[in-house]
Amino acid sequence: MSSEQASAGSSTNVKVPPPEPNALANEPKYAGSTRFELELEFVSMLANPKYLNHLASRKFFEKPEFIAYLKYLQYWTRPPYLKYLQWPGPTLKHLELLQQEKFRQDIISPDLVQALIAEGMKTGVEWHRKA
Amino acid sequence: MDKNLDARFERVEKALANLIDSIAKYNPSEKLAEGLVEADKELFKGLQALETHQNNYARIQQLREETAALDAQTKEIIGALWTMRKEVKNTQTTVYPASGPKYQFTTKELLDYARRISPNTLPPPGVTNGVDFGTPTPTPAEQPDDAAKGGGAQTPNTSFNGTGTAAGTPAASGAPPTPSVNGDMSSTHAQPPGFVSQTSLTSSILSDLPPLFKQAIIIDEGAVFVPWPDEFYIRSGALASYQALVDRNIDPKGYDPEEEEQRRKEEEAARKEAEEKARIEREEAERRMREERERMARERERNRAEAERRGSVATGFVPPPKTQFTFLDAGDDDDDD
Repeated sequence: MSSEQASAGSSTNVKVPPPEPNALANEPKYAGSTRFELELEFVSMLANPKYLNHLASRKFFEKPEFIAYLKYLQYWTRPPYLKYLQWPGPTLKHLELLQQEKFRQDIISPDLVQALIAEGMKTGVEWHRKA
Repeated sequence: MDKNLDARFERVEKALANLIDSIAKYNPSEKLAEGLVEADKELFKGLQALETHQNNYARIQQLREETAALDAQTKEIIGALWTMRKEVKNTQTTVYPASGPKYQFTTKELLDYARRISPNTLPPPGVTNGVDFGTPTPTPAEQPDDAAKGGGAQTPNTSFNGTGTAAGTPAASGAPPTPSVNGDMSSTHAQPPGFVSQTSLTSSILSDLPPLFKQAIIIDEGAVFVPWPDEFYIRSGALASYQALVDRNIDPKGYDPEEEEQRRKEEEAARKEAEEKARIEREEAERRMREERERMARERERNRAEAERRGSVATGFVPPPKTQFTFLDAGDDDDDD
């Protein structure tokens, strides 16, 4: 894991979400991927608590432009983008939490990361048994 | 009632006493006897009234008891209602944004989505991440508390199955039910006492195995289900290749590693093809040259033979037949001339 998200974040200094894949014919490509693909991948990675911790340890959550990018990424909570999320539960939850200053500060704590991992893995196998 | 009865008793007693007196004085009076009979009848009526009174009293007691019981029940119900109202008021409810947008979708879209994400949201059968399903699981309300305590911070509810996200429980209707696994099975089926199920027996045998064998025999041993992209995915993704280009000082915009690779391969192929073509051409030229040389040699031979023939006809000279070394003169024309 490296600082790819920063470059992705800064290179896309646009406030308009990228078009959907079926309209991607003439989209410019960055390293072989469209902006849609890159941003989908990044927002999905936010589902991983360790990655959040990694971002926190690289002090990304202290940069105003990165926080603005996180805010911009909220377009993934709406159609038509919603249906492209591969890990919708943790992704949306973390995206929601990341909008809060408190969570952005706390995620640097390994304890919280471990708690998130433990709970996520527990919930992952339990949720469909409750019915 | 008592007084009434007492009066009647007294009357009977008096009438009796009067009658006895009259008998004792040897002067029995018919009138007194009739008075006694009358008094006795009155007493009997009084006793009947007493019986009615007692019955009524018993009934009143019974009704009072009933009333008390019903009162208690009413109080209980009201108490329960009050408690329930309090509980309902204290229940944490999911607050849906009242003015939030509502998104339309079809069942097919939902099912397609559920099918698509099911590998990421549903653990493979037998993978439990170490969660023991035999014991009652803590209620969802307790989990975030634990998480918050563990983090030492008041991070808001971190449960993944939470609130208003449309995809909160995505595969609930779309995904096929997972078959129950190992220990889970024995607890769900009613079994006669003393009966050891095949499954639990097998699982107990399996759990007794040394770790080395376990890895070889149980496929899912040690497998964990992670409901988010793992590090491998992150490291091998598009952003990683983006970063790789940045690290090599290449502007990723418009630079497609795949296309570059493709172009390189095509160039390589074109170069190889050109080489091959040149080689074939060279061989062809060589072959042609060899043929030409052979042809010229044959021509020369024929010319020489022709000249010999013509020479003999023109001069009339017939060279003497050579008896020896005939085959040598082909290469040595000078000897003949």
